[in-house]
Amino acid sequence: MAPPLSPPALRRLLLLVLSLLITSVAAENVEEFTEELLLRPLPDRKALAHFHFRSSAPPSAAPSRHHHHFPKAIAQLVHQFHIKELELSFTQGRWNYEQWGGYDPMSTNYAKPPGVELWATFDLPLGEIDATWKNLTHTLSGLFCASINFLESSTAFSSPRWGFKLNEGNLRYGALPREAVCTENLTPWLKLLPCRDKAGIASLLYRPSVYKGYYHSQKLKLASSKSFGIILDQTLTVVLQPDSVRGKQLHSADGQLQPSWSMKDLFNRKLSGKCLVSKSSRVFFEIEKNIVDKVDKSGTEASWTNEIFVLSSAPDRVLKEINNMDGHSSSICEYDVSNYNEDAPLDVGVTWKLPLIWSCTPAPYHANRFLMGSGNERGSISLSFISTNMHKQLFDVSNDCSIKAVVFQVVPWYVKVYYHTLEIFIDGNNKAISEVVDKINVTPSEDKLFPGTLEMLLRFPCSMQSAALSLDFDKGFLHIDEYPPDANQGFDIPSALVTFPEFNSSRSYPETDSLFVSPLLRTFKEDGVVKSYTEVLLVPLTTPDFSMPYNVITFTCTVLALYFGSLLNALRRRTGEEERELKKAGNPTMLICLPVYDAHISCVI
Amino acid sequence: MASGRGGIPGPSRPCRLPLLFLPALLPLLVLLAFSFSPSSAVAAAASPGAMHNNNWAVLVCTSRFWFNYRHMANTLSLYRTVKRLGIPDERIILMLADDMACNPRNNYPAQVFNNENHQLNLYGDNVEVDYRGYEVTVENFLRVLTGRHESAVPRSKRLLSDEGSHILLYMTGHGGDEFLKFQDNEELQSHDLADAVKQMKEKHRFKELLIMVDTCQAATLFSQLHSPGVLAIGSSMKGENSYSHHLDSDIGVSVVDRFTFYTLAFFEKLNMYSNASLNSLFNSYNPSMLLSTAYYRMDLYERPLNEVIVR
Repeated sequence: MAPPLSPPALRRLLLLVLSLLITSVAAENVEEFTEELLLRPLPDRKALAHFHFRSSAPPSAAPSRHHHHFPKAIAQLVHQFHIKELELSFTQGRWNYEQWGGYDPMSTNYAKPPGVELWATFDLPLGEIDATWKNLTHTLSGLFCASINFLESSTAFSSPRWGFKLNEGNLRYGALPREAVCTENLTPWLKLLPCRDKAGIASLLYRPSVYKGYYHSQKLKLASSKSFGIILDQTLTVVLQPDSVRGKQLHSADGQLQPSWSMKDLFNRKLSGKCLVSKSSRVFFEIEKNIVDKVDKSGTEASWTNEIFVLSSAPDRVLKEINNMDGHSSSICEYDVSNYNEDAPLDVGVTWKLPLIWSCTPAPYHANRFLMGSGNERGSISLSFISTNMHKQLFDVSNDCSIKAVVFQVVPWYVKVYYHTLEIFIDGNNKAISEVVDKINVTPSEDKLFPGTLEMLLRFPCSMQSAALSLDFDKGFLHIDEYPPDANQGFDIPSALVTFPEFNSSRSYPETDSLFVSPLLRTFKEDGVVKSYTEVLLVPLTTPDFSMPYNVITFTCTVLALYFGSLLNALRRRTGEEERELKKAGNPTMLICLPVYDAHISCVI
Repeated sequence: MASGRGGIPGPSRPCRLPLLFLPALLPLLVLLAFSFSPSSAVAAAASPGAMHNNNWAVLVCTSRFWFNYRHMANTLSLYRTVKRLGIPDERIILMLADDMACNPRNNYPAQVFNNENHQLNLYGDNVEVDYRGYEVTVENFLRVLTGRHESAVPRSKRLLSDEGSHILLYMTGHGGDEFLKFQDNEELQSHDLADAVKQMKEKHRFKELLIMVDTCQAATLFSQLHSPGVLAIGSSMKGENSYSHHLDSDIGVSVVDRFTFYTLAFFEKLNMYSNASLNSLFNSYNPSMLLSTAYYRMDLYERPLNEVIVR
């Protein structure tokens, strides 16, 4: 039997317990910051790097209070504009759904349309939302060095009811497809982080390599409520081509090896420690389900080292996905950055030993959009869906099985869409609209006032291989002042969004640490319906001859000058007047200068 | 001060008495006038209580399209110099009409060079552009100068200078006789600029203003200025073109203009604590190297040219 504790020890124990209790209670009112990085090899010899920074501030009664790590600019933004949810993304490049997957949490949440996309829901009466949206766009443009203020006018944003996200009318959505994204957008985004880009995972961001990628998208997501305060998620998703110095060996049997890469190859530097303010700092290496599948087939168990590939160092933990139906699940190797420092930096990477070809799970349909027609008067927009047969593995293909798809599209007013010309073709056969369209909500465009919004719920039969929708439009005329300086390039129609509400891309991983759940893994677990964005369309509109005002002024002035000149000349000029004046004066050396009315002076001695 | 009664004793009639004192008062008045005039002259020259206490820079690049890479490089070189010599991002308004660093034609993404040797990446890691792309218009430029914005415009896009500010205004692009072209579809004329500067002076938005213009026939752009406290430097005179310095065969376009190149060469030798003077800057411009005559207009500037530009 253990000896009883002496009174001083007992007191110390009590104090310890009390302090633990107090800190655990106080911890709920403390700002937290976590940083994470996810690395994943992609089938087409590229690598995906996803940075995830989460900052949270507890709820407080007063809008003004002291902040420790949470950026004050964001807290002020949320309070001033009464924001419930906001998402702002800056993207350059197109997410390649065919190669990089369309059915995982990454492509659902972080594949964004090119340019700037901003949507926000407000906690205000419906009449005040438009004015608040306008002020919000200006503030964000100052905060992020982008011309988001172009979304202020009613011709640039729309308010979808259910096509984008179900809401009661307090959602506003706007996109600028042609906005350039460069270092000046990343700079203020990084300044919102407590350690900026000086320490921790953000120190990996070597700008030339980030902007050399095939796709990069930085996103800011805000959610605020009275119960949990404000949560700010900043993510940066980059798809890079690693310098394939090590990877170009040809394997004799099966073709080329995938390139071996590590963080040093991607970002030119290694991680030398975490941001000291962060609650946790981790690097994840994701081995996808299809890779696990193939490695298992080859005989060895797919852990961090096997016959086909080996990771550069042993992970601290390996998490296997749970609740997966067909038995194979992806796994994530976790590295805790706090175990590393400047003397022993962390450099996570993969070395391939045998060639491997795999594919990422796609969405049920590949959605593409393109323009049809020629000339400067009219054209058509066409949306095509090509089945990937992936749903056949998940659903029983019976006759009355159908797949729902929601289409949301905003078209600027100068592309005047005629919604009555909607035609739907399934497997090449023209179908009646009522057979395929369950619900449709159209807000037709009004010239110079608002864009045209289309929200459609379609029902496709499971056995369908391809479908196409088309809408005719007329090209409108703009006033000469409304043309941008490079008008001959054309005008953009922002990406359309196609959602498949019956398909869910969430994944759950075991929570090993009861006190702390990784925010990245938590976003993976959230309900995410499968989404894909279509391409941006470039519509050439008729441009006027911009030099015409100058030409008109020149011609008119010349004509008027000639007319009045000749008229006044004819009325006032007397022939032989100069000689008569001279004879009267009688001074041969005097110079007589008389103005002649066709605008020159003739001098006669 | 002489006082006392002087003058001719006249008839002692009451209505003439004040007149007696007039000649005596006259020298008194004259002396009083003299004592007041120097202080009033001083008051006219500098607004009361205005000490130089902050610096601002407004850097404008007005050209779009890839072949105008050098104008962007000019502006970014000045941006880098101005930041290096001590003006923080909050006091710099940078207007770039197009995106060169992340342009698909740029072989070196997120990097802008002003020299063939690619030694210096002007874009760096911490650039903040206030007005970009289609936002760089004559209207926005004049709004920045005069401070007349809509209420929603954020503070980072405003020129919040006061009567103690020294402002550097640098403009580059394509220009001509009395105008500067903005983005290929607008022009800023010299009298618009002069009016904006006049408004700025009346609203006490600057103590001293230095205008540098690097375009063809640059000196004509500030020919209409008439506000005191303004110093202007142009890269060429009327009828002359300003030329680019060299072509970078890797990037494929000219990367810097001559005037800015030599201006930078002067500034690269300085640091925050140097005491170089404007005079030495002007003397460093060699017309044969510039292939044009750098012209400066000093008649509106009161002090002799012996102070550093951004200090």
